[in-house]
Amino acid sequence: MIALLVWGTLVGLDLVSVPQMMIARPLVAGPVAGAMLGDIETGLKLGVVFELLQYDILPVGAVRYPEYGPATVGAVATAHAAAGVLGLGLGTLVGLITGMVGGVTIHLLRRVNGRRVQAAAATLEAGDPRVLARVHLAAILRDGLRAALVTAFGLGLAWAARPLLGGILTVRGVTLLAVAAVGAALAAGAAGTLRLVGRGPNLAWFAAGLVGGVLVAGVLR
Amino acid sequence: MTPRPPPLARTLLRLFAVQGSYNYERMLGLGVGVAEEPLLRDLPADGPESPYRAAVARGAHFFNAHPYLAGLAVGAAARAEHDGAPPEQVERLRATLCGPLGSLGDRLVWAGWLPLLSGLALAAIALGAGWAAVAAFFVVYNAGHVALRWWALRAGWTHGARVASALHHPLLQRGVAILGPAMACAVGAALPLTAQYLAAPFEMWARGALAAVAALGFIALRWVPDRLTGLRLGLGLVAGALVVGWLWP
Repeated sequence: MIALLVWGTLVGLDLVSVPQMMIARPLVAGPVAGAMLGDIETGLKLGVVFELLQYDILPVGAVRYPEYGPATVGAVATAHAAAGVLGLGLGTLVGLITGMVGGVTIHLLRRVNGRRVQAAAATLEAGDPRVLARVHLAAILRDGLRAALVTAFGLGLAWAARPLLGGILTVRGVTLLAVAAVGAALAAGAAGTLRLVGRGPNLAWFAAGLVGGVLVAGVLR
Repeated sequence: MTPRPPPLARTLLRLFAVQGSYNYERMLGLGVGVAEEPLLRDLPADGPESPYRAAVARGAHFFNAHPYLAGLAVGAAARAEHDGAPPEQVERLRATLCGPLGSLGDRLVWAGWLPLLSGLALAAIALGAGWAAVAAFFVVYNAGHVALRWWALRAGWTHGARVASALHHPLLQRGVAILGPAMACAVGAALPLTAQYLAAPFEMWARGALAAVAALGFIALRWVPDRLTGLRLGLGLVAGALVVGWLWP
């Protein structure tokens, strides 16, 4: 659990603060969390689900978005505790809630950072490099604390989700939950990609890729 | 005596944390100032109103661009300070670079390199590559990422106030032209493959339901893109599934 907390914190820091090497991508965060639990397959599955959801986000300017990195860590922890299709559905539920909370905390952190910058404005305008470094470093530490809290929240939800929800769902209900989770991820992935692709010449390339993917999937069936 | 080489490596390291103090007041400004500071240490630093302190203060003013290309502005502004450019010109240079660096970085990285490699990795995982796909994504992505950061910083330092010419580098223009179609094709191929991969444990009825949910969800996201996000759709669908699953024997 400690290892997952540390990993989730690093993942949360990577998203915006440092070093933006994409360990915050669910595709990476999920399998590593899975490996920590000795369950890589679950990590890969949840990583793929949240990577598709991530396509819905284009992090340009000061846009507000959910944070799916620590969320994927929480989702994998949930899915590991509740095997199979139940894990997929419950894991996604926990991950979505954690991602939403993570997004809110990022917005709050930016406002707090703004206030700290305003408070130090006079010394920053005097060009004191030590004050500049101190304000910057304090903001990174705050983001680390924020990421740790979001990951802890996700892991807490993971711990509570299975006994609370696992018992009340029927077998069909469990499958339905997984269908809803995967369906939402596929819809978000497709819609987000089309937004990136636009209506220009890239649309034909998207269609060609789609046809190719369908053919390969058909051959492998 | 030969002049000391600029500490570009130290600046590059600091650039990895350029968004560390991101805020709505100065955006990346403080991070840019922190990254630029080592390049300004050769400026006269005597007294509270020295050129060094004035340049450090300017470096931390408002700045917003793609984080991977911020080094171009850092290098260019630092070089302009060394070349004795007037303060207004340095401020104007920084302000002028915000838009183009943001736009180019978004097209090159967020809408090109990243989704291209992510799409390829998703397809590879769906085809059974497992860990290897994740490792390849991480290594190849960051090879491009670090190379872009390094190129941007060096180009900024080399060109100084005339850095706009670096943005017309043929490799960048060709990169944008190639990455768009490649990304579209890769993610297009990945979608049906990941759908098959994720649906593998489902029974037949559940696969039918999945197709319907994904199609309706897609239509809803396209129909009301301003109000409905992937997160809201996901939360709504799983909440609905929980209620139905609880009531359905």
